[in-house]
Amino acid sequence: MNINRFVERNLRWIFPLPAATFIILMLVFPVLYTFYVSLTNWDMISSGAVSFVGLDNYLAMLKEPRFYNAIGLTFYFTLLAVGLETVFGVIIALILNREFRGKNLVKFILLLPLVATPVAIGLSWTLFYEPTIGLANYALKLLGIPGLKWLASNATVIPSLALVDIWQWTPMISLIVLAGLAGLPQDPYEAAIVDGARPLQVVRHITLPLLRPTILIAVALRSIDALKTFDIIYVMTSGGPGFASETLNIYAYSLSFGYFRFGAASASLVALFAIVLGCCVILLKMRKSQEL
Amino acid sequence: MNKKLLSRIAWYGLIALIIIPFLFPLFWIVSSSFKTQSQIVASPPLWVFRPTLENYKGVFMDQNFGIYLMNSSIIAIGSTLLSLLIGIPAAYAISRYKMQTLGVFILIARLMPGISFLIPWFILFSKIRLIDTYTALIASHMLVGLPLIVWIMINYFDGLPRELEESALIDGCTLQGAFVRVYLPISGPGILTATTLSFLFSWNNFMFSLVLSAQRTKTLPIAIYNFVSYAEVNWGSVMAAAVVIIAPAIVLTMVFQRYVIKGLTMGAVKG
Amino acid sequence: MLRTKQNRWRTGLGLAMLLAVALLVNLPVSQAENVTLRFVAANHPFYDVIKPLLPEFEKQTGIKVRAENYEENQLTPKLTVEFTSNASTIDVFMTRPLQEGKLFSRNKWYEPLNRYINDRKKTPARWGWSDFPKSAVQAVTHQGSIGAVPIVTEWQVVFYRKDLFQQAKLKAPKTLEELEAAAAKLNNPAGEFYGIVSRGQRGAAVTQFSSYLYNFGGDFIKDGKCVIDSPEAVKAFKYYGKLLKNYGPPGVTNMSWPQAQALFASGKVAMWTDASVLIAGLLDEKSKVADKIGVALFPAGPAGNHPFMIVPWSLAIPAQSRNKEAAWKFVQWAASKEIAKKAQLAGLTMARNSVWTDKEVLAKIQPDLALTAKQTGPIATPYDRPLMTAVVEARDIIGDVIVKAIETGGNADIESLAKAAAKGVDALLDKAGEGK
Repeated sequence: MNINRFVERNLRWIFPLPAATFIILMLVFPVLYTFYVSLTNWDMISSGAVSFVGLDNYLAMLKEPRFYNAIGLTFYFTLLAVGLETVFGVIIALILNREFRGKNLVKFILLLPLVATPVAIGLSWTLFYEPTIGLANYALKLLGIPGLKWLASNATVIPSLALVDIWQWTPMISLIVLAGLAGLPQDPYEAAIVDGARPLQVVRHITLPLLRPTILIAVALRSIDALKTFDIIYVMTSGGPGFASETLNIYAYSLSFGYFRFGAASASLVALFAIVLGCCVILLKMRKSQEL
Repeated sequence: MNKKLLSRIAWYGLIALIIIPFLFPLFWIVSSSFKTQSQIVASPPLWVFRPTLENYKGVFMDQNFGIYLMNSSIIAIGSTLLSLLIGIPAAYAISRYKMQTLGVFILIARLMPGISFLIPWFILFSKIRLIDTYTALIASHMLVGLPLIVWIMINYFDGLPRELEESALIDGCTLQGAFVRVYLPISGPGILTATTLSFLFSWNNFMFSLVLSAQRTKTLPIAIYNFVSYAEVNWGSVMAAAVVIIAPAIVLTMVFQRYVIKGLTMGAVKG
Repeated sequence: MLRTKQNRWRTGLGLAMLLAVALLVNLPVSQAENVTLRFVAANHPFYDVIKPLLPEFEKQTGIKVRAENYEENQLTPKLTVEFTSNASTIDVFMTRPLQEGKLFSRNKWYEPLNRYINDRKKTPARWGWSDFPKSAVQAVTHQGSIGAVPIVTEWQVVFYRKDLFQQAKLKAPKTLEELEAAAAKLNNPAGEFYGIVSRGQRGAAVTQFSSYLYNFGGDFIKDGKCVIDSPEAVKAFKYYGKLLKNYGPPGVTNMSWPQAQALFASGKVAMWTDASVLIAGLLDEKSKVADKIGVALFPAGPAGNHPFMIVPWSLAIPAQSRNKEAAWKFVQWAASKEIAKKAQLAGLTMARNSVWTDKEVLAKIQPDLALTAKQTGPIATPYDRPLMTAVVEARDIIGDVIVKAIETGGNADIESLAKAAAKGVDALLDKAGEGK
């Protein structure tokens, strides 16, 4: 009985305690540790002992061309992928936003790319992109276009990877927007229809502005993940050819588990985290200002 | 009448145009998994062929995918159950006491790039000799599942009326009694959403297993990756392996479609 | 009452004595019997050979072996991180002396094997340490300490399609000029057939590029400085880039040996320059060209002929292992003459002199391959990558120049790219205290 009273009185912290403890152990400590390592010269190649070097890793990072290359590619990939996902996703949602037979089946099919294991998907797309035996070039040939090198050329590697991301994640934007559409108020539509507006005008002047907050959140969610894309790039190109698809996440992985420069790797991870956090804050700010 | 039929055909044509691009790659994976290497490499691509089960035989008999299937299941189920166990009470408290700071704190786990945990984790798990154990893998996968579950459940609990608790308290229930007897039983849909998503994310996880697992706890995504270089680009087997990995996720999605959609869209729509 | 007590006492004593005897007798045996070794292998044809033979070893010795295998890019990180943590449970592992040797021996992760090899109780003379070629022994020895036992050897060769060469009235290329001419002649991109393939993937390409580099008179490191920007090296980059851009398959910049091997085995290219050991995959049942393969000595360049011949893989025991005695038994077995012969018969090229004189082997082995081994031996360069601790990063830096050379067909500003690469590698050398 007493225990019950005790629990009741302290429910506020007893209930979240296990989860919070877990997060502190598995997340906060590692993150603090990573930050600490980013201030040391710990690596497996130097002969000396590990010592505290202050911001040296960050300064060295700012002089490293590969770091800028990686930042540029990270944004290029994210903007290309999330941008097109948003456009396609919203269009698909607007089309599907009505009742029809088989709508559930369509939604199910849209879910498939979302739940399919990225590693398996990445490997399968590698076969599509194979310049000599892949379907992609076969399709281009049917259209009378000469074959591309896809993953094997500087110019096309990022768009090719982005295409996989677009295939996987466009449905997510569609589903979010569809859910958002279901929650929109009906009055403005009725007014517009009374005024004799054409469907496209309605979409442009009423639906899209109303949907803006939803779309922004969808974009924020997608951007967070796209900035951190690892699985498909690691599996499909490992950052190649050369460094032409080496995004920040892949670069950090190389530094940590390829070159064992843990100090430098940690610095680049802090940078990546700052970028993700920054993008998140900007998008949320945009959403807030929309609501005001 | 004719016009109506025509517009219907046009409509379903449009629908087909939308879904075929999403469906086709999956179709191609499945059909290639039943082809021999020379049928896969054939140009122009073969649409009609005599299916072979050789690839699947290879995947299960020579590559032991049965074991990896088991490992993936144990880790996904284990991490999901444990996350539910500690996540649901946390979500309840956060929702009831409006502990937003704690909520945001847990959300940070979703923002962090996964590799930033890997070096410290590896060192920690090595020191306590947990590398290549289910414990280490389940713990790491929980870091993906737990925030997801907490956030979905906060949303869910926020939507439930507070009056339920009050009437339970009047009936002589303690606060935790009200949670167990009143709130949990009506939280089925929320829990189902959280469970399905947490399971899927763990099932598909690659990076954590890449570093923390070895032979005993190898999960399917690692197995297929490792298998590719081993098989010297034996595409048929790769496709069969891909099917073996993707199929359970798809079956689960088919069964719980509504909940998966809810979970994926919830955060965005409610904000 | 008394009787039972006495009985009990007797039984107790009897049991205790039995136990003591059992312990005394069984101690050395049971120790060996209960050992389970953790063996970490690479995805390599050698592992394919010994994996089915493991039960044989277990039966012979009573030692259990738990084997696991990784893709080579994944293996080094796995080993490094596990050894760093000081809590490794690995007992035997496959290691690349040229790749990890410096890093691992500097950190004292290899158990020095001298005392096992020189101890006649542990190692019978007939096992034959002297059967390993001198250069192979050198490759695994760091400052007098033997870190690993060589298993495979490999050297750069040209695999070519005998049938097509005959049709086109070509002979196996003897010089790099002839190589290029043959590639040009046989190249037919419209028919999806290509003159030549060699590795183009960033880090992986470096080792295969090395023989070209040496034959143009270049090198990776000289006197503690990276010399990848020498005029000779630049010529080599340009040649390699031009060759693969003009006569190579599309997508070559993403190709390491598995992709190149798959292309050659499916009959889509006329020539392939890579390591000799990869012939195994060209002769197996999946290959369409198994009966048409010629193997030729790597062609000479302006600076003569110095293709690499190295020990790519060896077997080591980690200093942290708790089962070193059992581990040594396993290494002895896996690197024995008998296993080497089996592996050689399966198409591998082993680092033991005896297998190259074995009649059964000579009867079965590709005659061209055996010939190139003989030809390459005296002229070989004993390394195929820069010998340094930070070799992974250095390979990536140099590999990027190779990729750019291929992309532009050798027309990029290779001089300044190579200069920048050399600077990057120098920085790594300095960091490790290996520079000058």
